[in-house]
Order: sequence, then structure tokens, then C-alpha cells
Amino acid sequence: MRRTAILVAIFVVMAAAAWYVFAPRGAVVSENLAIYYAKADGTTLGTWSVSTRPRASGESDAEHLHNLALYAAVQAVTGPPSDVAAVRFPPTTHVLNVSVAGSTATVDLSTEVTQSAGGSFEENGEFKGLVYTLTGISPINAVQILVAGRKVEALPGGHLELDEPLRRSDW
Amino acid sequence: MSRFAGRIGSAFVIVALLSSGISRAQNTGYVFSNKPVAFSHLSNVAGPTAIGIDDPALRGLLRDLGAVLTWQPGERYVLVTTAQPQVISFSVGDRRFDVGPISAQAAFAPFLQGTEVYLPLDDLLRALYLAPVRDGGVTVLQPQLASIDVQGSGSQALLVARAGIPLHPRVVTDGPDRVVYEFDGVGSALSTRAFDVGGIHNVAIATSGSARDPKTLVTVTLEAGARHDGAHSNNGDFEVGFGGNGGAPPLVAVATVAPQPSASASETVPAPVASASGSPAASVASVSTVSVQATSDGSTITIAVGGSASYEWHRLREPDNRFWIDIKGATLAGPPLDETEADPIVSMRVRQIDPQTVRVALSFVGANSLAILPSVTGLQINVGHDEVADAPREGSGSVGAVVSANEPQALITPVPPDMYGQNPPGGASDWKFGPRGYVPTNPRLIVIDPGHGGGDPGTMRNGVAEKDLALDMAMRLRTILIARGWQVQMTRSDDHDVPATSQSAAEAEKMGYTTSAAGDLQARDDIANASGARLFISVHVNGYINSGPSGTTTYYSKPSDAAFARIMDRTLAQSLGTKDDGTVKSHLYVTLHANMPAILVETAFLSNPDDYAKLTSSDWRQKVAQSMADGIDAYTQSNPVSTASTGGER
Repeated sequence: MRRTAILVAIFVVMAAAAWYVFAPRGAVVSENLAIYYAKADGTTLGTWSVSTRPRASGESDAEHLHNLALYAAVQAVTGPPSDVAAVRFPPTTHVLNVSVAGSTATVDLSTEVTQSAGGSFEENGEFKGLVYTLTGISPINAVQILVAGRKVEALPGGHLELDEPLRRSDW
Repeated sequence: MSRFAGRIGSAFVIVALLSSGISRAQNTGYVFSNKPVAFSHLSNVAGPTAIGIDDPALRGLLRDLGAVLTWQPGERYVLVTTAQPQVISFSVGDRRFDVGPISAQAAFAPFLQGTEVYLPLDDLLRALYLAPVRDGGVTVLQPQLASIDVQGSGSQALLVARAGIPLHPRVVTDGPDRVVYEFDGVGSALSTRAFDVGGIHNVAIATSGSARDPKTLVTVTLEAGARHDGAHSNNGDFEVGFGGNGGAPPLVAVATVAPQPSASASETVPAPVASASGSPAASVASVSTVSVQATSDGSTITIAVGGSASYEWHRLREPDNRFWIDIKGATLAGPPLDETEADPIVSMRVRQIDPQTVRVALSFVGANSLAILPSVTGLQINVGHDEVADAPREGSGSVGAVVSANEPQALITPVPPDMYGQNPPGGASDWKFGPRGYVPTNPRLIVIDPGHGGGDPGTMRNGVAEKDLALDMAMRLRTILIARGWQVQMTRSDDHDVPATSQSAAEAEKMGYTTSAAGDLQARDDIANASGARLFISVHVNGYINSGPSGTTTYYSKPSDAAFARIMDRTLAQSLGTKDDGTVKSHLYVTLHANMPAILVETAFLSNPDDYAKLTSSDWRQKVAQSMADGIDAYTQSNPVSTASTGGER
């Protein structure tokens, strides 16, 4: 009886080892996020990649999505390395907060975003990159912009409509 | 010839700063910029010194550096945006931290103590390019020269120096064989590096001074006959152009190059193959990993490519739903792959099909949507569950530091149906902001909207305001249109704001919106929509923070605007002599909310010297007005309506 139990145990261990060695492996899970920016022509998009942290144990789906969206938004507003010719948010513009409800991310920007040079070119490129970045994160497909916590219809002296969520299809 | 000649890069200096050979910050007094920094939220529970992110002295130091810290309770990431700009990211419970594209291991993982996150102080300081240098009983937080890049091609080069603080060097030697710059207030761990581009032989770096008053001397050794222009500042960076072999120093705007991933210990960014002497075109790129990730929309294939390479892709027609992409000038860094994948991908194969080409071949379950996104680090291929008809069958582009200007993603990315909002393809339902099949009640009426006005000058340059130029061109257009028998409605005809109607102001107030800008914009649309006009044209002048962008752009928002925009762009391009920036679809307020076909013309850039000269010429502004009138005539002739009326101004 005891011998049988030992043989069964050995068989189970060998089977487990065989499964571990020979079982088909899934592809490596990527943790890269594509961060978009508008190139110097103001409309063509470029991307650079940032690497997120693996999901923490105990991190809920909502928390994970929130953290990803915050990370992506801060990267997009900061822009690519300074030697990349890109349309950029006005200097020192930063993200105050990000929240996600359903498929809409809300990004609260600091008031420096209003200090632009004043053309459609700049506004268009800035927000196109930000919206493409966030809508690259499932399930986000729309981005609501706030300025210092308030919804605005447009920036002062601005051109883009901001009182409704922006989508990729807006460009 | 390589456009990127070489780099003494930020990766190098970060690695140097993060090495254990540099003394650790001690829990003693700190000094920055000759001012004491009294950190008070310090902890040693993790061993090395940790600092709480609410520490007033830390917040003050970040302010002095132009950096902003982002963290809210419950969030995992602590993000610091520097003035460079660059993101430093820490994550609670994770030793890894990132400085821009570079990952490193901190002394310990950030942790929560009460409601405050504590970060490893030494690692944070070094990420901010501050080296802790002992000086007697205190630790001086000494700003460091973060990088010196030399970017160029053949006879031209651009030298760019960066640090954690704005750089204001002075020239101490300016001879035929060398130029020496002195950077006061910064130290450096960078070393001498040889180059052969733009007349530069090598760049030598030496430090002197004291811990509190460091100096860094950068000596650029030149070939005979090399020239350089005056140094200038760009966002705190120091930039100077060089020219060798009789070539002139480059203009900064044309010398700017795509990012070069740093050759570093980065865990996430593949190192480039291009070197100081190598050409990216001749170098062999490396395909290091090919991975597949399931998403809610389908699957994403990520191909990590180190170096620069071109690619071509092809897909077959149904029922043979195969796709392949050839990465040329590349080698596969690992073994061939054969994977069975989940819907919408059936299988994936990765092969080195010849010594210069890596092929990634996929088969799909159907004619699935496909988006190919090249970047400096490789390619991302998004395969959707949704199927598309008549999708493009082939394309090409490039990845890495040298990225082609005509990347194809915009051509091949189908917009998911749920992203169309209330504007599904084919125009099957009403447009969000206007009635389907708009019928003008005044088909001979054109609304002209001079941009900005009153307290809103628009973009400005040398005292010249967009609002005045826009009004001038709009009034000229009015005159021409009336002479051609059109009716004209102006949204403004002098220098004042366009006041919000009581209805739109009340709506905005009810919603709690800030109305200073949009009340004005909605008022312009209210005027147009109430008039039942045939067309709406908003006249603007573009601007940017530097002189690089130039040209004429015609913006539109709705499908019904597109034909008007195309014809106007074509007409303007034939006569204005500016760069034709084409038509651009965007979410612009005035074109979006106008019921009729509407466009916004950014006539030229006030921030560009050539465009500025045109804009300030009355002859050119008359030409703009003439061309706009021609564009209106061309559009209305090719898109007639049956009703007619007499001309004159309303």
C-alpha cells in the first residue's frame, strides 16, 4: 500500500514536470504603452513607447485602468524627448488628475495649457496626441478635458471644442 | 551618411550617477544653489534615506527645478515631470523606476507610511541630475550636465547640451581649431568623445571649481575651416550649430532629428545599432522580441526593433487572410517562432527569410481590421475583431531613429464603429450638430468670420495681432464677394468680441462652463445658423512657439465640410506662394457648430519669418481674399443649389 502511494506520488511529480517542460507557452505579454505626439507638421502622429509596471497583486481592474491612464496622460502631456520635433503643450502644463468612467477618461490639466501661441496648429497637435494616447488603452475611447477642475467649451482664444469628450474620429 | 553622429548621452550619465561609487546622500544638511534645503520628512526604515513626497523642502526644490510631482491617494505611480521635459516615474512597492526611457533599480521600493509615499532620496536626486557632493558637514546637491548630443549629417552638426537646470554657458575661447564653453554652476561625469561630423573632431569635458561652485568646460576641437554659429537656448537646453568642409552651420529647425534611443542598461528600450561612425541605412537592425497580447478589441503584436530599419507589409484578399511584414536590414536576435494564437489571429510565424530581412507572418480568422504603428522602438500591429472591406493591401514605412515622413497608419487604421459617435460611415444618420442634407434658406449668402477680436488678439508677433490681419482679409473678401453678386454676413466688422447670445450664455451658465472663449465662438455660429447661409468661412492666422512651422492650412470638422475644404485648399495653394499644408480635419468649435459647410482657413504663420513678410503685405492679403472668393465660386459652381437671389450685404 505504501509502495503504491509512493509510486503514485512519483507519477504525479513526473507528470507535473513534463507538463511544465512541454506545455505550449503563451506569447510574452507586452507591457508597453504607445504614447502619441503630433510631429512638426502638426498633424502626422508619431509614437514612442513607455513601459508600465506589471499589475500589482490586489490591484483591482478599476485601479489598474486608472493607474495606466494617469501614466499615459502624464507622458503624453510631457511629450517625447526634447530633441524630437513635436508639437508640445505650453511649457509647465501638467496633469492635475485623471479619472476613468466607463469608456471615457477625464484629464484635468493645469492652467498653463491656456498659454499657447494662439494657432489652430498647436492646439490641434497637442490634443490629438493626448487623445490618441489615452484611447489606445482599452476600454477608453473618449477623453474629456478639464482645465483646473472645470469643464470649458474652448480654451481662451482657442479653437477646439472641449466641452464634450474628444475621440479619434474627431481627427 | 548618418544623420546622427554620436551622443554622450543622458543614458550614460544616469548610469554613472546611479552607480554605487558616488556617495550617498546623508541625513545631514543639504544645500542647493547655495541655499539650505531642510528636508523634514525623512525616514530610514528601509535602510537608505527615504523622503516623503509632502516634504515642504522637497516641493520647494522641485519648484526651483521647474519640476511637478503628480500623485493622488490610492494611485500607484508617483510621477515627476521635469523642466526638460522628462517623466521620472516611481511605483509604490516596486524598486524599478524610470527616467524618461531608461529604467533602473532604486535602493528600495517606494512605500506608504500613513498617507504619504516615501521615495528613495538618492535615486530621486540623481534622476533630477543632482549629484550629492559632500562638502564639510553638508551635502551639496550639485546640478550635473546630463548629456551632450552631437547630431548631424556630413558637413553640418548641432551640439545640444542639457542639464537639470537651464544652461547659460559663456564662450571662453573661440579659435580656428577649437571653441571652449564654460558652464558655471554644473558639474559633470561625462567624458571626452571623438566625432567626425560638421567639422567637429572631438568634444572634451573637464570640471573644476568647488562642490558649491562647480564649473564644466566643454572644448570642441574643430577641423580646419570649420565654423559655428552663436549659441542659443531652447527650453533651457544649450544649442549651437557647426559647419565643416565649407558648409554653413545648420539652422536649428532643419537640424532637429528623430530621437535616438540611448545605448544603456534600459530594460525596455532596445539599443540602437547606429554608432558615431556608422550609418543607420548601412547598419543592421535587430528584431529582439515579437510578442502578442490579447486586448478587448483583438490582439496587439509588438515587434521590438533595435536600430533603424524599413519595412513593407502585404495582406491577401479573402478567403486567404494572410498578412506578412518584412523588416529590411534586420536580423532576428532569437530563434524562429511558430505560435498558435487566439482569435482574431490564427497563427504567427517569425523567420529570418534572408540575411537582411526578418518576416513576421500572420493569418487571421477573417478580413480583420489592421493598424500598423511604427515608432522609434519598433512596430505595433493592432488586429481588431471587427472586419473591414476593401482594406489596403500593402504599405511601407520605417522604424527606429530615422522615421519616414509618410508613415502609413493613418491610411490603414479603420475607426471602430463605436468611435464614429453620431456620425457613422456613409452618413446614414444625422450629423451631430446640423440637420442632415442642409438646405440654405439664403443660398446666395456667405458668412465671413474674422477670427478673434476685441480682448482676444489671437496670435501676436512684433506687435502685429492676428485679429487685425484676419479682419483686414475678411473685409477684402467681403468686398470681392459683393462685387461678384454674393450676399455677405460678417460675424464682426470691427475690433470687438462677438457677444454671446442670451440663449447660448444661459446654456453655458447652466452647465457651469467657463464661457469667456466659447461664448464668443458659439455667437459666431449663432449668427451663421440664424442666417441660413450657404457657406461659412472663418479667417485666421496661425502661430507657434518657434519659427519652424509655415504655410496655409484649411481646417474642417464635418463630412459636409470636406469638399469645400478641398476646393479652397486647392485654390489657395495655386496662388498664395505659401507652403500648402493641405486640409486638416479637427474638432474646431466654429466649423463643428455651423450647420452649413464650414471651413477655417489659417492663412499663414505669423511666427515664421517668410510667412510674416507675406501677412504684413497688403498685396498678399488682397491675394488671399481674391483666392478665397475664387474658392467659394469654384465650390458653389460644382455644388449648385436651385434657389437664387440677388446680391448685396445684409
